[in-house]
Amino acid sequence: MNTDPFFLLVTLLFSIGLVGIISRRNLFVVYMSIELMLSSINLLLATLSKVLGDASGSVMALLLIAVIAAEAALFLAIIIHLYKTKNSLDSDSFTDLSEVK
Amino acid sequence: MPDTNTLELIIFGILALFMLGGSLTMISAKQTYISAFGFLIAMLSLAGVFALLDSRFLAIAQIMVSVGAIVILSILTILTINAKEDNLPSEPYKFLWIIGAALLVSPFSLLLYRALKTLPSYFSTLQSINSKVTGELLFSQWVLPFEIVSILLLTAMLGAIIIAKQKIKGENS
Repeated sequence: MNTDPFFLLVTLLFSIGLVGIISRRNLFVVYMSIELMLSSINLLLATLSKVLGDASGSVMALLLIAVIAAEAALFLAIIIHLYKTKNSLDSDSFTDLSEVK
Repeated sequence: MPDTNTLELIIFGILALFMLGGSLTMISAKQTYISAFGFLIAMLSLAGVFALLDSRFLAIAQIMVSVGAIVILSILTILTINAKEDNLPSEPYKFLWIIGAALLVSPFSLLLYRALKTLPSYFSTLQSINSKVTGELLFSQWVLPFEIVSILLLTAMLGAIIIAKQKIKGENS
């Protein structure tokens, strides 16, 4: 089995995550799209580790999983805080720091 | 009896279908918990693809951390918040937005795929990347990033506690 299907899957997953970030306004969907993009990078690292015959790629992917976990903890705390203040999950309603109201 | 190559391709196809279906459900569902279940399916299939790549430790870590911790935490948060229909954003032109964004992103994806295709297209034959190999590398060559990640996790934990504990103005006064 060659590596092209893996690269195609990485590309599609990254693009789906990007589309989710651009097109949706639900905070949870935006968060999960970011996670999906990070996971596709993880898959690319694992594939390259196998292609180059070097286990360092797998170690990097392992460290990236820990970074994803840290990001998830912070992001969910921020979502809970935002929901408490505005009682909404719409990303357009959080304009407190914006110049344009 | 199909040979190993065909079998691998079939398994990869099934996993990729589950993964793409889960992620498409994730970005298109209106209810948030349905998105979370799509995300769960995508992460489980990703663990399967890791196992197909013979990165055993990575597959186990993916199941334990991504599925067991992150997705379950997300579902728990979604069910705790329990947002009603009024609190969700109204997105009347959602599918139009998704199609537009897909058209916008597609040249970039094509470029990415062409760039990735310049990499070698065959797997080198080496022993499987098991926990012994990973552990030896992690504690010799990669020990500094490992320590930095542990500090990052500690900081994220403190930050999450502080953000979630903040009192909202006027709530308890």
